[in-house]
Amino acid sequence: MSDFEPKLVCFSCKFGWGYLADEASLSSQIKNWIPIICSGKVDAKHIAEAFKKGADGVLILGCPEGDCHYQDGNFETKKRVQLLRKVLDSYGIEPERVRMELSLDPEGKRIPGLVKSMSEAVKGLGPVRQI
Amino acid sequence: MVAKPKVAIGWLGSCGGCDEAVVDLNEALLQVTSAIDIIFWPIAMDFKYHHLEALKDGEITLSIINGHIRNSEQEEVASLLRQKSQLVLAFGSCACFGGTPGMANFRSKEDIFNWVYRDAPTVVNPKGNYPQPKSQVNGKELTLPEFYEQVYALKQIIDVDYYLPGCPPPPDLIANAVNAVLEGKLPPKGATLAPHKALCDTCRLNETKPDKISIKDIKRIHEVEASPDTCFLAQGILCMGIATRGGCGESCININMPCRGCFGPVEGVEDSGAKFISALAAMLDAEDDEAMQQLIDKLDDLAGYTYRFTLPVSLLRKRR
Repeated sequence: MSDFEPKLVCFSCKFGWGYLADEASLSSQIKNWIPIICSGKVDAKHIAEAFKKGADGVLILGCPEGDCHYQDGNFETKKRVQLLRKVLDSYGIEPERVRMELSLDPEGKRIPGLVKSMSEAVKGLGPVRQI
Repeated sequence: MVAKPKVAIGWLGSCGGCDEAVVDLNEALLQVTSAIDIIFWPIAMDFKYHHLEALKDGEITLSIINGHIRNSEQEEVASLLRQKSQLVLAFGSCACFGGTPGMANFRSKEDIFNWVYRDAPTVVNPKGNYPQPKSQVNGKELTLPEFYEQVYALKQIIDVDYYLPGCPPPPDLIANAVNAVLEGKLPPKGATLAPHKALCDTCRLNETKPDKISIKDIKRIHEVEASPDTCFLAQGILCMGIATRGGCGESCININMPCRGCFGPVEGVEDSGAKFISALAAMLDAEDDEAMQQLIDKLDDLAGYTYRFTLPVSLLRKRR
């Protein structure tokens, strides 16, 4: 499966990631990039939906711990992801296919690199089998 | 005399509990049966499939179908009932969502066959025989229904008009559903004939639920003596009521058991398990990843718990 190019979905919080960048030009570098207001908005349903629609991995970028504009949205989603991973495992979707990074990058320069490095990791797992 | 409406009650992959629930209408059943003609009810009376085949298309006013679909016979009966009926009611959690048998979607057909016909300690099968849809015995061909790769809810195989969930559905909702058909007072097609809100909305323990539930230690119902007067979640016992449609009359809560989720998602929600996961994560009171992981490790079969009745209709449906 050497020519396998994983399909990733990247959710990122607008308060911490890429808010100084030109969204249009940044989004041309990141496929399936979904800037949102607070990573706490990412529900287990959105992650499941991404896999249903053919994603091979989901990357969530939130603000640094303790720095959430809405108190603890990033922390809540981190717990949610940790719990959901266990359920995804039962579906035959490896837990490593969901990754969460809490950091700050107003210009969004690191986002394409983070997507790429996750993509490399997911490549080793192969595609999520479609049913 | 105007002909009475014809009603069929079909069972597919079913335990019989849904049919029992119809019988549990007690005296009300006698009133109902005086207003309708039951023309098919295999578990209760002697009907054959050819009796159904002999009917005209649409001759049956209402087919009440319980059970999931896992094999070709179940699909055939469901399709036949659909063809002969004006209305189809998916009755019970198996027909609506796949039900508890739907949890088999976490295993492949191959895994199931290997366990049932080869690996289970009670199996003696020296020739390694597995059921085949067709086999030759003494020059004759014997047939069995084909066992499908996964469990399906009724709507995934045939067009369904209405849904009545529950394991089994309670008598008051059954009577309401049948009367709605008889009186022609039906909601729009596709409606679930049960309340729209979550079970917590009518649960008598709701008033003991704190504003913010924080679970530091997850307990299973058999491990503790649960207080009958306190919200289960406040006691650290997982209860599906927060993500489950109400209407059951809280029959589990009333015998001091947490909700297991048989009524499926609330109105407007597709995947009740994912909703429960999101809510549960917020309730788990862990200071860091490690504490969270300790809590998660205590959850045996989390996926089975959250999708006990709804796996085949969940967003991801089955194991990859």
